[in-house]
Amino acid sequence: MSIVAPLGLAVPLMGSAPLRTALFQTLRFRLILSVALVHVVLMGIFAAAAVHEQSDRIELELLNRSRALISMTAVASTNTVLTEDLGALAEIIQKVERQPDVAYCEIADSRGYILGTTLPDRLGKRLSPRIDQSDSFPLAPGDPTLDLREAIQVEGQTVGTVTLGLSTARMDSAMRKTWLDGSLFILLALVVGSFAAWLLSLATTRKLHDMVEATARIGKGDLDIQLPITSRDEVGMLAIAFNNMVTSLKQASEEALREHRQRTQAERLACVGEMSASIAHEIRNPLSAVINSVNLLSGDTLQGEDRSQVIGILNNESHRLNRILSDFLDFAKIRESQPAQGNLAALIEEIASMLRQDLPPGKNIRVAVTCPSDACLAVFDHDQIRQVVWNLALNAVQAMGDDGLLSFRTVRRGDKILVTVADTGCGIQPDFIKDMTKPFVTGRRDGTGLGLAIVQRILVQHRSQLSVSSELGVGSEISFELDSSG
Amino acid sequence: MGKCSPLLFASRERAGAAVRSALVALFMAFGTPSASADQGVYRLGVLPLQSPNKLAVMFLPLAEALSERLGRPVQFVTAPSFSAFMARVSARNYDILYLNPLLCSRALEHGYHVVAKVGGEPFTGILVVRRDSPLKDLDPAQLPPRLRIGFPDPGAYAATVMTRRYLSQLGIDVDRRFQVKYFGSQDSALMALYSGLVDVAGTWKPSLRSMPKNVRNDLRVIAETPPEPQMPIAVRNDMPPADADAIVAVLTELGQTPRGQAILGGMALPQGFVAANDREYEKVGE
Repeated sequence: MSIVAPLGLAVPLMGSAPLRTALFQTLRFRLILSVALVHVVLMGIFAAAAVHEQSDRIELELLNRSRALISMTAVASTNTVLTEDLGALAEIIQKVERQPDVAYCEIADSRGYILGTTLPDRLGKRLSPRIDQSDSFPLAPGDPTLDLREAIQVEGQTVGTVTLGLSTARMDSAMRKTWLDGSLFILLALVVGSFAAWLLSLATTRKLHDMVEATARIGKGDLDIQLPITSRDEVGMLAIAFNNMVTSLKQASEEALREHRQRTQAERLACVGEMSASIAHEIRNPLSAVINSVNLLSGDTLQGEDRSQVIGILNNESHRLNRILSDFLDFAKIRESQPAQGNLAALIEEIASMLRQDLPPGKNIRVAVTCPSDACLAVFDHDQIRQVVWNLALNAVQAMGDDGLLSFRTVRRGDKILVTVADTGCGIQPDFIKDMTKPFVTGRRDGTGLGLAIVQRILVQHRSQLSVSSELGVGSEISFELDSSG
Repeated sequence: MGKCSPLLFASRERAGAAVRSALVALFMAFGTPSASADQGVYRLGVLPLQSPNKLAVMFLPLAEALSERLGRPVQFVTAPSFSAFMARVSARNYDILYLNPLLCSRALEHGYHVVAKVGGEPFTGILVVRRDSPLKDLDPAQLPPRLRIGFPDPGAYAATVMTRRYLSQLGIDVDRRFQVKYFGSQDSALMALYSGLVDVAGTWKPSLRSMPKNVRNDLRVIAETPPEPQMPIAVRNDMPPADADAIVAVLTELGQTPRGQAILGGMALPQGFVAANDREYEKVGE
């Protein structure tokens, strides 16, 4: 089952934990981030341009207004300066002071004495030269006032001076408001853009998630799944292609299954035929000997010692027929393995002891067992593996003459135990190795060819197989692996 | 130059008229800074015979010429009214005065003395009507009832005092036979006559000559008063004699140079100035 995390992404994988993708690696996150960045950058540029334009406009407006106001003040105050009519000047000053943004206004005569001012304590004092510092934008840092000075002139001669200061506080406030508005617009664009991107990514990646889940189900063998086609966009086309692929995959799978069944059936029939031929072949020779022996015994031609010899042949061939049929029944009736934890070293040691006791007189065969402590415990069906080791050991003994060394070794290989039975016998023909586990294939004249076939079937049930290494005239090593329990 | 009180304005009222009245009263009482407050500047106070701007056009060149000779700035100033002007004179707020003979006699009482006067033509007042007016002379028997007469200011010597005195000598009671209106300046009175607000205007010749030609051509002089001493130039009695002499020299020499003649032309006083003294004005108005 897949899990779609709120932010990250979990992709279901068959037989393992979901593969999680970090948030910043998801398409959804990248899409939202891209749209948000585009919105922020574009709105930032737009807001900066708007603020800059408004700043220029406000500054120009303030500058023009202040210049117009000071010019009008100079004209209006000409006569009052000439007449030193302080009352009229006070009225002019009052009217100027009522204008927006006026921080101060002073009117001085030609000597520089202030005759009218918005700052009562400066009346009668000298005009300050400070105003010439910032009569245009940009103002000096920390200077909140635009200062202007204009001469009152009559016929080209200066009869007085007007100074005017306009506060930029309202302008600065408007600029701050514009910046704030711009920032809010950027934020709004960010939110709206991100939300839209989220919706878009949700619509897109949801279909991709469906596709991922469908892929996982296909991995589990469900080839009946079909994605719903809800749109005609790229994702919809991808879903159509996906469905077509699943359909093709299902057809191919069904075709392969049919072929597999047919091949299996054919192999089974071939095996039955081969087995039947082998059985017929194996039992025909002893049966012919039995029939001939019975014919000879039914006549009067055999006398004395010859008759006894024919009876011996009849007896041997009958036993041979019995042994063939018994081994075949053993091969056919191998039960299902019942693996359990067991001591492999004890089993091998037991077989080694039996061999030492049962060796015919005159044979000088040494038996060696090497089972280190980390390679003793394994999971196996005790009786079946006992038969496997026993069969391999008998083959090894038969491969050696009257003298040789039979070795049993166990070695740990990771979570497996490698069991090896080695001999110093005549070795195995290379072209015989690949067929040696087939039924009724034997290298000995009196063998039934079912020993190694039984070994192979038991090992297959233990999810193992034989591994053969042999050199003619030197000896052979036959190995198999079992699951370790230690 | 005399002592002058520093400018004292504690506050100003908000209401326009009240503020203006209060400040003008304070101004009259204490005056604006004079040369004593600013040792480098002489203040040339000109009686508000005409509009301030027109007076500035007329007297600024003269102030410049005086400044060049004296080696210090000479500030041209006038006043909102005759009374305000005389209040400043009484406060010794001006260093140099240009005023009429009647007010000159009062200025002498406040420590000024006459150094020059307008030369040439006699100082007379004139009565002017529109050219199309039916009035040809001032025969009391022929005057229509309730005529309107305009003057610059009650203190205007030639335009008001001398013409009223002349009409009285003719047996005409101005306040009874005329509706009297004051317009603040010579120009205003003449423009009031030109525009039909009054039937007769009292003024003096320099003002009539300074009017635009089309205005001047539409006006007609119907009477001229007997002559009086001309408009004087007075200085404060604490002015250094060298400066007073320099001022007289500048004034009397104006007619000798093209620039001086241009200055006199601008002042509508082509006859220039001549030296004068206090004695000529001590009896004026008595």
